[in-house]
Amino acid sequence: MADVRRIDLLDPAEVARLGGIEIVAQGVVEGFLAGIHRSPFRGFSVEFTEHRAYQPGDEPRYLDWKILARSDRLFVKQFEEETNLRAMLLVDASRSMAWRGAPTRLTKRAYADRLAAALALILLRQRDATGLITFDEAVRQVIPARVKTGQWMRLIRGLLDTPDGRGTAAQTALLHLTALLARRGLVVLVSDLLFDRTLALTALRYLRHRGHNVIVFHLMDPAEAELSGPPEVRFRDPESPASVVVRPRELARAYAETVRREVSAWRTACRRHGIAYHHVLTDLPFGMALRLLA
Amino acid sequence: MTFLHPLALIGLAAAAIPALLHLLERRVPPEAEFPPIRYLSEAERQNARRLKLRHLLLLILRTALIALIVMAAARPLVRSRAAGGGGVHEPTALVLILDNSPSSGAVVDGRPLLARLKSVARASIARAGSGDRVWLMLADGVARAGSREALLATVDSVEPGWRRLDLTTAVARATRLVDAEPLPGREVEVVSDLQRTAFGEGRADIPRGVRVLALAPPGQVVANRGVAQARVTDGAVAITLAGTPGGGPAPVTVRLRATASPVGRSRDVGRALASTGSSASVPLPSMAPGWWIGEAVLDPDELRADDRRAFVWRVSPPARVRADPSAGPFVTAALAVLTQGKRVAEGTDVSLGERLQGDAGKTVLLPPADPALVGQANRALAARGVRWRFGASATPGPVATARLAGINGIPVARRYRLEGGDTTTVIATVNGDPWLVRDGDVVLLGSRLDTVWTALPASPAFVPFVDALVNHLARGEAPIGEEEGPAGVLFQVHGADTVGATVSGPDGRESDLTPARADVVRRAIGAEVQDEAQFAAERFAGTRRADVSGLLLALALLVAAVELGVATRAR
Repeated sequence: MADVRRIDLLDPAEVARLGGIEIVAQGVVEGFLAGIHRSPFRGFSVEFTEHRAYQPGDEPRYLDWKILARSDRLFVKQFEEETNLRAMLLVDASRSMAWRGAPTRLTKRAYADRLAAALALILLRQRDATGLITFDEAVRQVIPARVKTGQWMRLIRGLLDTPDGRGTAAQTALLHLTALLARRGLVVLVSDLLFDRTLALTALRYLRHRGHNVIVFHLMDPAEAELSGPPEVRFRDPESPASVVVRPRELARAYAETVRREVSAWRTACRRHGIAYHHVLTDLPFGMALRLLA
Repeated sequence: MTFLHPLALIGLAAAAIPALLHLLERRVPPEAEFPPIRYLSEAERQNARRLKLRHLLLLILRTALIALIVMAAARPLVRSRAAGGGGVHEPTALVLILDNSPSSGAVVDGRPLLARLKSVARASIARAGSGDRVWLMLADGVARAGSREALLATVDSVEPGWRRLDLTTAVARATRLVDAEPLPGREVEVVSDLQRTAFGEGRADIPRGVRVLALAPPGQVVANRGVAQARVTDGAVAITLAGTPGGGPAPVTVRLRATASPVGRSRDVGRALASTGSSASVPLPSMAPGWWIGEAVLDPDELRADDRRAFVWRVSPPARVRADPSAGPFVTAALAVLTQGKRVAEGTDVSLGERLQGDAGKTVLLPPADPALVGQANRALAARGVRWRFGASATPGPVATARLAGINGIPVARRYRLEGGDTTTVIATVNGDPWLVRDGDVVLLGSRLDTVWTALPASPAFVPFVDALVNHLARGEAPIGEEEGPAGVLFQVHGADTVGATVSGPDGRESDLTPARADVVRRAIGAEVQDEAQFAAERFAGTRRADVSGLLLALALLVAAVELGVATRAR
């Protein structure tokens, strides 16, 4: 049974009120690792290098029982990487990500930042080189993948320093990413995917072709999944001059069906190309979102 | 189709509200950011045709809903063929003839006939709507207008009356009345026992478009007999019975009561057997001078109103007569006989001769024996203000009179034609010429009372004739009238004297309770005779309409449900 006091399982908006991104991410990761008892991203290392203090979430099989017997302290054995995992987090900072359907929820961007920070922390803890690219219609921040101390805070600063953009040009950012990733690794895209699916898939397929493992977090506010609102409303696209007048009540069913089709289309296309796809609503606890990767 | 409340149709303009709202409502909707607008556009593009159809359907449904509700409020009426008295009808002018003539008091199957008639009349009035114009006509022939409640109260208070109702006349008047009303429906309902005697010889002229309904009489013909007439003539009362044909003779009792006697005290003075349609005579005893009231009474039967009838007569004191010698020996001899019988006395009340006695009292004037004195007699008559005069000698012939039955047919050999007076004062004629007349205080004879002039002095009727001449004709008789009303006598007084009387009772035709045949009714008043069920079904049937507002409301409800379903289905 889930421990409802665990921070990773609380409502994301409530968790966000606890502090800054780093505090939230650390809390989430602690709770998350305590919950699953094993790291979702097992290292590729096979040769022992050093001991470190046991942390909740570490697999018991890596405990050094001899040290425990001698000193009654918990240490786990760490192994040297044979091949370093290079993880690059791609965070969509477009205008549409700054939207939320209700004041009590996080914007998609805020949710993405915290989810990316938590992911980065998990990766860095297992000494995977982790980098960050933020983008809207252009690439805004590029933090190369590193594993050195302070990398996580650099990543946090990179997220904080990226303002909300205007349009979205994911394919540009993804193409730029291909140039930055000389070695194959892990690419995690956190976006609302409100751009041309064909173009975006072309870029992602290219990455996949280059040997990268690609994970896509498709963020969506619950209000984007179920249409609601006043009897008649003019909906305006925050990223373009486009607008449309609709009666949410009479279009709700058709809209929900369209969204379902779109998500299904993304999932099918990603699966076809070996891309992990996860549809995440912004009211989903961070721990649950991370668990999707386990 | 017609409407009970056509003004409500103005509300149909409201049916345009949905369309107007659709066309005119161009309010600026609130704006909101919505990133996945591409999904929205896609959903709208794929559903545009369905949404347009839905909007059109909703517009039609809402317009139809308002139109249906407005039309239901206007209470639409469509022609109905449904049997029974239900439904509504167009405004109708109705005259309800409720026959409360004396015959309606008959008891049929233990129930007063009028109660049945009132029940049917109540039902007719109760079915009348606010747009109808209703009159109630009773046996008195007066058409009473009023509200439904007032007419119902009038019907409730109706009792058997004393007036005979001529249905032919009543229906003719009623049809004229409703025909003058500018209403879609015009109807006359005859609620009566439909006595055959209630229809005259003529026929009512029924205007086009006026329906006449007649309630069928009870199937059972009620046996009844009643006293149609009772008159005192020559010391006897002649009683005529009327009623439903058939049945044997019935006993009639004659009772007498002096006017001075306390009310209710009477005594039987005779009894006779009489059949329906025949007369019987019951001798009256010699009575002291004065007014006398009698009553002819039958045994009670189903119609009590005609079981007794009053009669009245006056017994006068002997006239005091002075006969002039010129009157002749026959007159003198007759007066001697009458004096001996105390029918006359010596006096100057009445003088009898060939000369007028100045301005004194009553005179029976005979033509002078000498033709040369005729002119003098005529001048004397003129001087007395008598318009009659002796004319030329005229042809012989028999006497004809209705008032002095005994002298009818007695030959007259010589006579003067009586001229110049009012024919209403003629008492007897010969060959159509006035022979015995009365003008004021003067009774004028065209022949002398002598066997040379007429055979009357030699006949047995002479003494009674002289008796009538001096006691009745010369002195004059108090008028006794007859009229419809409850059995009784009404006296006319002048000062301290009783100068006449009126005997009232039901019309003798009311006693015959035989209903008229259907063809007679149809011919006389143009109505089909219908039993109570048919009558109720045909009442207002000419303009009966079914109110379909309920159906429209149900349809509106259905449309509202469909509208709700369509409006919420896509939500």
